[in-house]
Amino acid sequence: MQNISIPSSSVLDQSQSKVGQAGIPFYLFATVLCSLSIMIGLVWDISWHMSIGRDGLFSSPHLAIYLGGVTAGLFSGYRVLKITFAGTPLERAKTVKFWGVFHASLGNLFCIWGAIAMITSAPFDDWWHSSYGLDVTILSPPHTVLLLGMIMIQFGAIISVLAYQNLNAEPVRQARISQQGYTILFSLSAGFVLTMIYTIGSEYLSRHNMHGVFFYHVASFIFPLFLIAFSVSSKSKWGATYAAIVYTVFLMLMNWILPLFPATPKLGPVLNPITTFQPFDFPLLILFPAIAIDLITQYAKHNRWLNVLYYGVGFLIAFLIFQWPFANVLMASKGHWFFGTSKWYFGSDPNWEFRYAFGDWSISTGMDLVIGLLIALGISIFSSLVGLSWGNWMKKIVR
Amino acid sequence: MIMKKIILIPVFVFISLLADSHIGSPGVTFEGKAGSYSVMVLITPPDVIPGTAIIHIYTKGTGIESIWAKPVYWFAGSKGTPSADEMLPVANEPGHYQGLVWLMEAGTSGITLEIKGSADSGSVLVPVMAVSTTQREMPTSLKWILFALCVFLVGLMITIISVSVSDGLVKPGETITSKIVRKRWIGAGVSAVLLVLILWGGKSWWDGWASDYKRYMYKPLRAYSTVSQSRGRNMLELRIDTTRHSSLNYTRKLSYVVPDHGKLMHMFLVRAGSMDVFAHLHPQRKDSATYITPLPPLPNGKYLIFADITRLSGFSETIPDTIEIDNKIPATLASMDSSTLNRDDTYFITNPFSTSKTNQTVTDGIVICGKPGIKTSLPDGSTAIWEHAASESIISGKLYGLSFTILDENGKPAKLDPYLGMMGHAVVMKDDGSVYIHLHPVGSYSMASQQTMLNRFEKETGPVNWAKLTLPAVFMDSINQVVAQLEAMSEEDRNKKLMGDMQHQVDGDHPEHSIVTFPYAFPSAGNYRIWIQMKRNGKILNSAFDAVVE
Repeated sequence: MQNISIPSSSVLDQSQSKVGQAGIPFYLFATVLCSLSIMIGLVWDISWHMSIGRDGLFSSPHLAIYLGGVTAGLFSGYRVLKITFAGTPLERAKTVKFWGVFHASLGNLFCIWGAIAMITSAPFDDWWHSSYGLDVTILSPPHTVLLLGMIMIQFGAIISVLAYQNLNAEPVRQARISQQGYTILFSLSAGFVLTMIYTIGSEYLSRHNMHGVFFYHVASFIFPLFLIAFSVSSKSKWGATYAAIVYTVFLMLMNWILPLFPATPKLGPVLNPITTFQPFDFPLLILFPAIAIDLITQYAKHNRWLNVLYYGVGFLIAFLIFQWPFANVLMASKGHWFFGTSKWYFGSDPNWEFRYAFGDWSISTGMDLVIGLLIALGISIFSSLVGLSWGNWMKKIVR
Repeated sequence: MIMKKIILIPVFVFISLLADSHIGSPGVTFEGKAGSYSVMVLITPPDVIPGTAIIHIYTKGTGIESIWAKPVYWFAGSKGTPSADEMLPVANEPGHYQGLVWLMEAGTSGITLEIKGSADSGSVLVPVMAVSTTQREMPTSLKWILFALCVFLVGLMITIISVSVSDGLVKPGETITSKIVRKRWIGAGVSAVLLVLILWGGKSWWDGWASDYKRYMYKPLRAYSTVSQSRGRNMLELRIDTTRHSSLNYTRKLSYVVPDHGKLMHMFLVRAGSMDVFAHLHPQRKDSATYITPLPPLPNGKYLIFADITRLSGFSETIPDTIEIDNKIPATLASMDSSTLNRDDTYFITNPFSTSKTNQTVTDGIVICGKPGIKTSLPDGSTAIWEHAASESIISGKLYGLSFTILDENGKPAKLDPYLGMMGHAVVMKDDGSVYIHLHPVGSYSMASQQTMLNRFEKETGPVNWAKLTLPAVFMDSINQVVAQLEAMSEEDRNKKLMGDMQHQVDGDHPEHSIVTFPYAFPSAGNYRIWIQMKRNGKILNSAFDAVVE
């Protein structure tokens, strides 16, 4: 790593004024679209595995994922090469220099890393299947490499938007329309990351788990971290809320659209002979804790530790009071299309008595519940602490 | 005759190659009819489950419109079957179709083939034991590619984190101070430590996955054989070690063994190395895990034992072992091919394996093994020919109908009788012991396995209700009775019963009963011996043939 060359003050002035004049760069839209493409592909792929069961390397959901990964990687790679070898001083001033030669924005670096990780996962996964069998699980080492790659690309989209947003805020205020554009792009990219995180944790977040404390442990670990980071780093007052809205709307749309298409199991044994794509899951009600978090960000101007406490407690209470009773609604919906609760793996017995009911083993009661929720609170506070630090870092990204 | 027994020899290397009811020969063959269409089928099951089975279908039938294949599972029942996949014609090879079928779970499965044609349509079920038998090593080239990518990703991530906490937070045009540079290096150091920890965690995860896979991999049953004297005869006792099951506990339960061709166990003994002594015995059940049989007067030496069994679940497998037969006084053999034991048991002594393409001369009453295309004399005066041109080489992996013709003393086609309900039985072995398989004219699959699956799919549709299975003791008792009844029957009645129970043809397309054909694909190049067992004039007629496979 070498020191960055110091631009002259004229370049500085130029850069600040140029930022003010430029609209939203095209590559930001492209990166956010890549993030969306990956997310659609992933949810579709999960539904594919629940409904059809088998796929090839070039199945449609996979293509959507690769399209997102490859496009983001190529866009970023091209930008890095262009700025490195043919960049103007102004363009270079907005990048970091690495390995002594290259100039890249942080967002580009994340996207490149993600694309290469996704490429790496392909031969790794292929070998894995030949050695340990074909896909039967979401989380395996090669899938984790793929997931990390996808998250990094999505994260790259957020960082790219943030760098522009942060730079745009000061010292040169841009036209309001542009700031709104950044807010929308940020909300979208943040919402897609939330969906990704939820998808990864979804094995522990099904409706059958919602009356057990482990569900709240997992949720308290993953959500405050991201919601608070988004709330703090967004220039809008409602960073977490907007991201949660994107997450909610995206999942509901996927739930409604997927079952419109036919699909029959191509693998045996089949215990549930379905004929259409299975929906994914109804979104968790993180919209409510997201609102609570944004309100805390707006109004709590105490010291850092007190804020962390507010965030941690605020998240768990706002989540618990909505999600716990809502679990009963999901169970009572008995497969209503609105909730997508008909979802059932083709290899599972559809007449299982607990399909729309909580089993004794999945409900936490008495001291287990009290202790479990206290642990969830601890996790939520810890997650809030990390989320706050992370958000404060994201607020400062300018390259 | 005094015989010392039991020398337990460390189980051979071939055990690692063992796959379900045969050893080293994973392909399952089938010859028979689907509707009015005669087909020959070669199924190569996956060696890792979940995986795909490769299916080749050869037919001379005309008017075939399409061929479909789907997997069926004994435990899931007929309703648990996914939609079928079409097997597609192979370009420029009329009558050859091929395709893939996915086997997602371990256990007793089968491939149902459905042939639709202008005349009619018909289906057949070919049992396939779906088990993981291989643990693969990563190819060196892939290892290096992944290693290089991993190093690149780790390096890039360290760079990303280091600039994320330093330069990335400096506004364009502002100076990069030495403080920022220090931050950059701290970021690099901390992220390097974190990434090493993450990689270490990933490695433990991977190791755990691999050891889990190993744990649930198919492992052949271990057996311990002993030879002892009882009432002047040598008795072989095979004790099966049931403590090593790590998976398929119900599927492989020994209490649920069912008879195949009327016998609970088919045991083959072959003298190791020379392959010149062969015996086919049918041990009786002493208890669920112990089988016992009188031994014929076999010459001294080390013997490979292969014991085939099938369960109610249709799961068939071969239990391998070795014994050392060490007669203190060399045995004087009354006959080189005698059936002095049970009417179905037999042994057979021939010349050692030879790779010469011509027949050796007969000496001392020892039966000389045949070669492709050349007549060989058999002890009862008849002759046998392997219908394969001596000049035409035999290629590994290619599906052959191995046809054998028996001619009587006058050189005319001999009339063969059924032997244990079939027109012939064959055992194929490679000289290094790495391949063993028991074949019938209908193929290499266990017919009891096929029968038990067909029975279940006829009567039940849903998944197996384990709780409602007959209790092991009751089940064993009723099976013992069935076997005893079959033993007590006359040859004719028993053949009628055995052939009636089996939903298959006893002899493919050869109603004249002088030619017997066994569909088989030799799995690898090397020296093979094929023992053919038929019945003529009420007596078991053994012959053997040598083949050099390229």
